[in-house]
Amino acid sequence: MLALDRVGKTYPNGVHALERFSADIRRGEIVAIIGGSGCGKSTLLRAIAGLDRASTGTVRLDEEAITSPHAKIGIIFQEPRLLPWLSVADNIGFGLSDQPANVRGGKVLRALARVGLADKAKAWPRELSGGQAQRVAIARALVPQPEVLLLDEPFSALDAFTRRDLQDHLLDLWNDTRPTLVLVTHDVDEAVVLADRVLVMRPRPGRLFEEIKINLARPRDRQSPHFDNFKRRVLTALDRSLDRNVPDADPKSTAGEAMWW
Amino acid sequence: MAMTVELPALERTDAMTPKASSKASSARLRRYAGPALGLLLPVGLAMAWEIAVWLGYSNGRLVPPPTKIFATIMEMAKSGELSRHVSATLSRVGAGFGLGVVAGTLLGAISGYWDLARRLLDPTVQALRAIPSLAWVPLFILWLGIFETSKVALIAAGVFFPVYLGVMGAILSVDRKIVEVGRTFRLSGPAMIRRILLPAVLPAYVVALRVGLGLGWMFVVAAELMGASEGLGYLLLDGQQLGKPAQILAAIVIFAILGKTTDWLIEIVTAPLLRWQDAFGRQGGGG
Repeated sequence: MLALDRVGKTYPNGVHALERFSADIRRGEIVAIIGGSGCGKSTLLRAIAGLDRASTGTVRLDEEAITSPHAKIGIIFQEPRLLPWLSVADNIGFGLSDQPANVRGGKVLRALARVGLADKAKAWPRELSGGQAQRVAIARALVPQPEVLLLDEPFSALDAFTRRDLQDHLLDLWNDTRPTLVLVTHDVDEAVVLADRVLVMRPRPGRLFEEIKINLARPRDRQSPHFDNFKRRVLTALDRSLDRNVPDADPKSTAGEAMWW
Repeated sequence: MAMTVELPALERTDAMTPKASSKASSARLRRYAGPALGLLLPVGLAMAWEIAVWLGYSNGRLVPPPTKIFATIMEMAKSGELSRHVSATLSRVGAGFGLGVVAGTLLGAISGYWDLARRLLDPTVQALRAIPSLAWVPLFILWLGIFETSKVALIAAGVFFPVYLGVMGAILSVDRKIVEVGRTFRLSGPAMIRRILLPAVLPAYVVALRVGLGLGWMFVVAAELMGASEGLGYLLLDGQQLGKPAQILAAIVIFAILGKTTDWLIEIVTAPLLRWQDAFGRQGGGG
């Protein structure tokens, strides 16, 4: 289980990006974190990844505190961030350098086939389209078989068509080993199609506003009325989160505080 | 390289498949046509001058025709003079270039990698860089004597600055996002340098080496003009003092050949390491 306990972050320049964010994420669960700009969602993800240390609170994966990048946690960024001097195959195998070459080669080949880029093994990253490059990034993150995969607006730079395609593809890949997915997004459609649970955040400072469970069987039909219904709920929550007059709906952060008074 | 950039997007992807061989062959034709086009002007001018002298429009005493220059070179080659002068110059450039590259790489890497060192070191280096390097000549001669040491030192000083700047700038401009990828895969310090920083810095480093080499050739002339008994620079001075323009031009031609060849050697040696960049030129950016 991934346990976030009152995670907060204040940057050295004084920006209060995230305040006491708590959530427990079960193994194999898909959680989408959504919110307007400046709500600290990327900050939160970087804290979970161990790339930045939280100023307050703790991130724990199976009781182990995360303070630096961890072998069981993989991350996919908004940009593919492939290494331009490595072929596609070498990029995918980048995280397997501690394994013998033949084991690595086999895993890379399987991953290439799995993301549908078997014919691109020897290509350079520059020769790929945006969608292909992001597939390589997904393969690179998944090949070491992380228990938790973090995604920071992974498809936001892609066109709508490619985005849908990759969302479906991601679910398909997730089904192989069922890692925990924590996805940061600003796309309501994406959150509802992927997640078991959507966490809506509100900005300045970033904190949890509302939690919406998506009780829809997969694969989800983007056209169904149920799907629309959940989308509307997330959208309403988002709207309310930006309204300063609405108090924090999260019982853990405000109600507790009120009782202390 | 630059010529294929304007290929339309559809042809780019085709260029990899065999069925587009006609396009590939036309691309090959253009690749050879490029250098040939560049040769047209110098070769044409040389031939025109040759003919002008041959027809008697000029006596060619101050500007000797190509055949005369070529004959001078052959004559020096036969007498063994040429190899003596060339090897003297080459060894000076080699030693100065080597020293300059080692010093520039080390200090540049330290300044680029280590913030404190940069703040400590860089202002001084930049101030020294602002001094025209030839201004050091009298001092170098006083300190190091008129012989080899001062010449090598001058060349090394010329090579040092572009290499230092290139290495430092390259390290500073390494994409932090790529470094972060290394961090997420928990690379150790040495692994980070070997697998992320070195390959990221390499293209700019090669450019810095080539600029440094160019300056090395420039400074060897200055060094040899300030007093030498052998070397291509000595041939220049000797030709001027004894009124032998063919010898001067012969030395200049050899300088050009050597400069181009050594530059080309760096290109050849580093080409396999920069193949991924080459793909960029050939594919025109890949979408």
